[in-house]
Formats: sequence, C-alpha cells, structure tokens
Amino acid sequence: MSIGARNAREAHPNELVDPYQGQMMDGADSLDDLMARCALRDQRAFAELYRRSSGRLLAVAIRIVRRRDWAEDVLQESFVNIWNHVTDYSRAKSAPMTWMTAIVRNRALDWARRPKHETSEEDLEGIIENWEDSSPGPAARLLQAGEARQLAECLGELSGQQRQSIALAYMHGLSHSELADHLGAPLGTIKTWIRRGLEKLRGCLEAKGA
Amino acid sequence: MKITEPNARALLAAEYVLGTMKGKARARFELWLRSDPGLRKEVAAWQGRLEPLAGTLPEVQPSEHVWRQIEARIQRRAVPRENWFTSLAFWRGSSFASAAAAALLFGYIAITPKDHALTPENAMVAVMADDKANPAITVSWEMHQSTAPRLRVRVIGHQEMAPDTSWELWMLPGGDQPPRSLGLITTHDTQYVTVSSDMMAKLPAAVGLAMSVEPKHGSPTGLPTGPVLYSGKCVEI
Repeated sequence: MSIGARNAREAHPNELVDPYQGQMMDGADSLDDLMARCALRDQRAFAELYRRSSGRLLAVAIRIVRRRDWAEDVLQESFVNIWNHVTDYSRAKSAPMTWMTAIVRNRALDWARRPKHETSEEDLEGIIENWEDSSPGPAARLLQAGEARQLAECLGELSGQQRQSIALAYMHGLSHSELADHLGAPLGTIKTWIRRGLEKLRGCLEAKGA
Repeated sequence: MKITEPNARALLAAEYVLGTMKGKARARFELWLRSDPGLRKEVAAWQGRLEPLAGTLPEVQPSEHVWRQIEARIQRRAVPRENWFTSLAFWRGSSFASAAAAALLFGYIAITPKDHALTPENAMVAVMADDKANPAITVSWEMHQSTAPRLRVRVIGHQEMAPDTSWELWMLPGGDQPPRSLGLITTHDTQYVTVSSDMMAKLPAAVGLAMSVEPKHGSPTGLPTGPVLYSGKCVEI
C-alpha cells in the first residue's frame, strides 16, 4: 500500500463509511456473496438478491397459493424474513436458493391452509389434469433443467402414482386429503404412495451420491 | 416425544418438507426441529433434494410495488434487535482483551516519553486482541483534540500483511449502527491515523474497534468485507 493512498483515505474518512455509497453490483457476485453482504446489512446486495431470485420464488408461491396477489404477499413476507434471518444462514447446510425456496414454501403452505384462503374445486381440477399423465412428465421437465438430472432420473424410477403424488404435494402444496379426493384413491393409499415414493427417491439419490 | 428411529426421522423430515405434514403435527415437528440439529440436517437434505422441482417453473416477475413494500419494511427496522456488535457472525471469531490488559497498557502509555500527555479522564484506549486474547494492536487517543484529531496506533510485534491486502480500522458505534471506517493502517510499530472531528466526537460512545483484512485499497463497500483479525473494547483511562 502506498503512503499516498493511505493519506488520501485518512483525509476523507467520511467518504468511506456510508454503506449506501458501496460499489455498484456488477452482476458477477454469486448468490453466496450477496447473502454474506446481506448479513452485513448491505441493502444494495439485498436488492440484487431480490432482483435475481424473486421471479423464481414468486413462481413457487403462485403454484401453492394459486392467486397472484396472495403469492405477492407471501413473497413480501418471505423477503422480510430472509433479510431478518440472513445472519442465521449457513452456506455449509444449504445453497442460497434452497434456503430461500424453503422460506417461501413454508410461508405459502401456511397461507394456503388458513381457511379463508382455500382454493376452489375448479382451480384444483385444472392442476390435477396438468399432472395427470403417468408418463414421466415432471421428470422430463427436470431433465431440461440440467442441474436436476439426478432428481429427474430418480423420479423416473418411481411409479406414476408415486411421482404424481409427490410432485403435486411439492409443487402445488396439496395435502393428503386433497390428493385423495382428486386422485380418487383412499387416504391410506395416498399416504403409502407418498411414503414409498419418498423412500425410493432417497435411496436412489443417495446411491447416485446426491 | 422423541423420534429416534432413523427411517422414521427421515420420513417425517421428508413429509415436512413436502408439505403433506400439516396442522398440529407440523407445529410439533417445528418444535422438535429447534432442539434437534440432526433433524434440521435431515430437513435441509430433503430441501436440497426436492428444490430442483421448483427450478422447473417458468419465472414470474413480481409487480413493482412488492419490492417497494419490502424496502419500506426493512428500512423501518433495518436493524436486528441485537446490536451490530453482538449479533454479527463475523465478530464471533474475535474475543476481547480484558480490562486488565487496558490497565496494563495505561501504565505503559503513562511512561512513554515524548507522547501527548495521556492522562486519566481525557484519554481512551482500545486493546485489540486476536481470537486467543493476545493483544495485537492498541489504539489510543485524547478525547478532546480540537484540531486535526488523530489516533495513535501501535502494532505489537513484527506482524506481516498478506500481499495485495490492506488493514482497515473500524469503529463499532454500538446499538444499531453499522461499523464506520477509520482508515487504513500499516504494520509499522507506531503510527497515527487522522480522523474527522465528527468521528472523534462519536468515539467516546463507541463500544469497540476492530481491524479487518480488506482488498488493497480498503473495503470497496464501506463496510468490513474480509475477516476481522483483531477487535477490542474502548476503555476510558
């Protein structure tokens, strides 16, 4: 470090200290970096984190609460939560997107289960139809996503009913009884499909080293 | 109730993540989660396994008002309940030298020749220690300097700075305030850092000082970005 540089900084200490005068984000920061800066209360980093992840997270919330305005409320609550708890986030335990997705899904599931937010029957029928095929539909979409190849392959090893139940529950937040009503199977059968499906999925993913 | 059977634990974690566990069972499971790190790990594993499903959805851009509302809410309470000094994970690696060390240092300052007359009641010192409480840097100053206020920095021992890095000194104002830069320091045995009168006025109320390792010309963000090597409380002497 040159003496000149040091003197220049000492002469204007106040220039250095405003957190909002920080460097512009250049789009090259990883989500990990942004999370670390958010932990230091860097609101610019938080804005960038929102810019990069909100489209994906809103899509997750919409599938579960099934109304855009409700989903946007869920997104708002989730991001306030993310800001308040980002100091608890541990990179060692999960990737940033996984952590944020979990927060959004939890909020959305809570929201969808308040009685006044329940979805009409017609809405549900459309959703069930989308997932009705017993061919590996969701798995095929996953294959396109690259990062998710292992999950796609393992979903492909489940029976159509197991795969459909798990995908509907995860993506659309359907409960056991909603699944039973709409897949036309007894509650006990639905529970078995899900339990066996999850066990098989875990075994398969672990065997692949995921 | 305690769940110990591994398969049952894994399955409960999976159903929790999937969302098929609901109502009272979900609330009970969340209570277990708080006190069971192994179960939290299981949940995190399932979140990671299933998360790619969420990534298959086409993105939906939120309306502009969503961000404005978030921004308004986080600015209103931009600060967590705990203050900066105690809450930030990155301070956890540091510990503070005891007041006894400060007292020893006071003795040291008092007998140092040719220095400003640092006398009790008008001077402060921060003994900055590493994570094993070994003093590494001391910063001392007179509290009422009218012109060109400065801090005296002493680096203890012959320390080395990694190439292409710099050492930045920070004031921790306490409460809900973020750290403020006091400028860069060198590895020299004795040096002075000039600070603004405004900063000087804030120092007596500061809870501590810290030094972090930053890129060559200091933190690019105005906040510490690198590891905090040393930190210590400010003590009146």
